[in-house]
Amino acid sequence: MHEMGVAIEIYRTCREAVRGHGPGRLERVRLAVGELSAVEPELIGFAWEAVTVDTPDEGCVLDVEWCPARQHCPACAAAKTRSEGSWLRLCPDCGAVLTVEGGDELDVLEVTFITDEEVPAGTHGQEGGQREMP
Amino acid sequence: MKQVVTVRRRALAANDEQADVLRRRFDEAGTLVVNLISSPGSGKTTLLEETVRRLSGDFKLAVIEGDVATENDAGRLRALGVPAHQVLTGGACHLDARQVAGALEVASLLPADILFIENVGNLICPTTYDLGEDCKIVALSVAEGDDKPVKYPAIFARAEIAVITKSDLLPHVRFDLESVRRQVATLNPSGRFLVTSAATGEGIDAWCALLLGRLNAKRSGTSAAGS
Repeated sequence: MHEMGVAIEIYRTCREAVRGHGPGRLERVRLAVGELSAVEPELIGFAWEAVTVDTPDEGCVLDVEWCPARQHCPACAAAKTRSEGSWLRLCPDCGAVLTVEGGDELDVLEVTFITDEEVPAGTHGQEGGQREMP
Repeated sequence: MKQVVTVRRRALAANDEQADVLRRRFDEAGTLVVNLISSPGSGKTTLLEETVRRLSGDFKLAVIEGDVATENDAGRLRALGVPAHQVLTGGACHLDARQVAGALEVASLLPADILFIENVGNLICPTTYDLGEDCKIVALSVAEGDDKPVKYPAIFARAEIAVITKSDLLPHVRFDLESVRRQVATLNPSGRFLVTSAATGEGIDAWCALLLGRLNAKRSGTSAAGS
């Protein structure tokens, strides 16, 4: 179950991303998972729960965005429909080697972080580069 | 207060960065690094033993062994006079770049012409982790069944060479070699396909020649690039 090791890395990446934002907890993480990344969305969800349990971030939601691979035949000049999860690289019509784009994503896209500090009304928006929501 | 932080970072970025550091180090040393991947019991260590018997007279070889438990595999290669370091993963089903860096810290493996990293026996998890290698090589024994490439496509699509092992067992098992060859060619049209047996010696010289060809290509490529 290598999703466990992947989940640990995702957790480290998220914690690294909010370092410098003060104490607080992760509320939500958006993760892009490509269909050729060898990571199963359901399993990564279970692993995420196991990794975050008994941490300040327990209960943090992991949102998985599934990223299909796109393939194209340079000989037929056509995008080939692909059966889900297929790794076959030869065009079913002419046998040419297909080009495959995307599908290997395994990226932390966005982290929603709740800081412990209470910020008085009217002082929001002080930190450049980040969207803040009440 | 709620903050939304845009990250856009590879989930395995820490591993990938360590792998890049390793790759630069291997390139500077002119060492060909092979990440050998297969299911347990397909004969990775035996293939390495045969490789060592043929090449260690003329080339400096080194091995990093990954296993959940025991020093058995490193012991087998040390018995042949090759520096070998055993990484025990304690349950993890793959090696990561930090473990390879750790092995290089504690064991005298470099300089070497070829460093073999025998990954933990597993056709799935090791595929995801870059170890700074020049190439992944997958081994499949004929006893495992002839549908494995399409069942475990990721590693067969990414491996530069697919090595069929234990070909001496072909008369005793149901294994359609041509079907496997077609599956591998469909998953990885530019990949190489080799049939070997450590017991009879079939294909072992060709395997060694492929490795040395890869080593020469790396070194001439490196000098041509001037780095």
